[in-house]
Amino acid sequence: MTPPNSDLRSRIVQLVCAGGGGHIPSSFSVIDIIDLVYSRYITSADGLHYTFTLSKGHAACALYSVLHKYGYLTSEHLNSYLNYDSILGGHPDSTKVPGAEASAGSLGHGLPYTVGRALASKIASTNAIHFVLVGDGECHEGTIWESAIVANNLSLNNLIVLIDYNKSSDQICPHNSLLDQFESFGWKVFEADGHDTDAISTALALAVNDSCSKPRAILFNTIKGFGVPMLEGHGPWHYKIPNEAELTIIMKALGQ
Amino acid sequence: MKQFPTDMKSAFPYAVESIGLLSDKLVVVVGDIGHSALQGFANEYPNRYYNLGILEPTLVSVCAGLSKEGYIPLGHTIAPFIAERSLEQIKLDFCYHSLPGNLITVGSAFDYSTLGCTHHCYTDLALLSSYPNTEACYPSSPNELVSLLAQRYDSTKLTYYRMSRASHGVNFAEVSFGKNILVKAGEDITLLASGPQLKTALELSSLLESQGLTADVLYCHTYKPFDVASLTESVAKTGRLFVIEEHIYSGGLSSTALLAAVKAVPSLRFDCHCIPDLFIRKYGKYSEICEGLGFSSTSLYSKVVSLIR
Repeated sequence: MTPPNSDLRSRIVQLVCAGGGGHIPSSFSVIDIIDLVYSRYITSADGLHYTFTLSKGHAACALYSVLHKYGYLTSEHLNSYLNYDSILGGHPDSTKVPGAEASAGSLGHGLPYTVGRALASKIASTNAIHFVLVGDGECHEGTIWESAIVANNLSLNNLIVLIDYNKSSDQICPHNSLLDQFESFGWKVFEADGHDTDAISTALALAVNDSCSKPRAILFNTIKGFGVPMLEGHGPWHYKIPNEAELTIIMKALGQ
Repeated sequence: MKQFPTDMKSAFPYAVESIGLLSDKLVVVVGDIGHSALQGFANEYPNRYYNLGILEPTLVSVCAGLSKEGYIPLGHTIAPFIAERSLEQIKLDFCYHSLPGNLITVGSAFDYSTLGCTHHCYTDLALLSSYPNTEACYPSSPNELVSLLAQRYDSTKLTYYRMSRASHGVNFAEVSFGKNILVKAGEDITLLASGPQLKTALELSSLLESQGLTADVLYCHTYKPFDVASLTESVAKTGRLFVIEEHIYSGGLSSTALLAAVKAVPSLRFDCHCIPDLFIRKYGKYSEICEGLGFSSTSLYSKVVSLIR
């Protein structure tokens, strides 16, 4: 059975193979979430303003694939990935990439940066919702928890943190319960399967439409490399480029 | 509006309140420092004043986010916690994003003389100046702070203000961002000073005069962009340059000035007095630390005379 978003997953693999670098499992981990955020919110015309910031910048290929799907990037852009003059690097550069809200790479920046944006929207009384996607490993960074305090103190209910809980941190420094941690910081929390389209949609809608004054966190249970058994887990595939034989196996698993 | 400030402590809230009147885009964000002093601004503009708490890296990133949305952030806390603890936030969230904003620190160099290394900060100007899309200044009298902030608060770059607690005591009628001030004209040497050490430079020039020697006393309040023209004009005349600054030797005013001056005058005779490559482990008053590190006209006199002769 092919996984959801097999076209986007194939695009990610093609990008990494052609460019000679990238994080396939991390991108597979978040692709279903990012795609739904764009299809349901960023590109919607419901009268609200939405932003999406990818804080875990090593999932750049997932962002690029989605930006291409929704018309921010052309096929020529994708074909140039990692070339000297390309606008697309191994981590997104917001000064170059149309639709990329932040230059990411070093972890722990996207959330405080988005806290500032959400605060600005509050000051301006703008009807805006700001999404930011962080990884569970990223949640080791102190700025995540500094920001959690600030967002709660400022009642930033226009801020939604999407946690890609692919358990990468469990091997080294487990969080025990990330949701409890955010909740203990005063946040409204939700949980969903990060590869189930309906579950993702429901969780996003609950977070967006909730009327409380708290910032929101959605913990998405995900699997690194989801959709291709060979890539799943936390082994050597984190930053590995498939060879020809491996590529055939991957594409077959993606139904290509 | 309050009466124009006569000391650095009252200059900061005065300057912030003045800018608050100029722009409704200014948002002040503090790290639980300066909170009492800024109550005037906080009361006047409650929607544009936030005391986030003691979380400086996040404070810097929040300022960047505000900037991204079109506000003019003014982040404020103690120097080492912005310039050193939060350096990556400055590098990535402001500079890499090409976002403008303002970071105003208190406690330059060893202003917090008794608090030890954790509260000293004498690498900041080198660190901040090393990144693209930054500018840096060092206001050390009330009118300078008020004037420089008014001139640069809506700059297109991230502007770092190293605010000193001590003042050099000179009341300049005019201060232009990026322009050195020729405080005194002479012939035998250029004394280039920054911060409160302008006072030392002026005392030195008086000592030199007592021996029949005269000095150009040039005051630098803007580190980046550095005013090359006024320096080269001066050293072309004197052929000698002596720099005094409360900053570590590497990457500060002395390095910048030497590179600029030696291009103009290859035969330049140069020396400087900066903070040595050491942690300051003494306590006591600011004036005692200055004295202990040789920041006094009497300590520097022979060094300067030997450069001239």
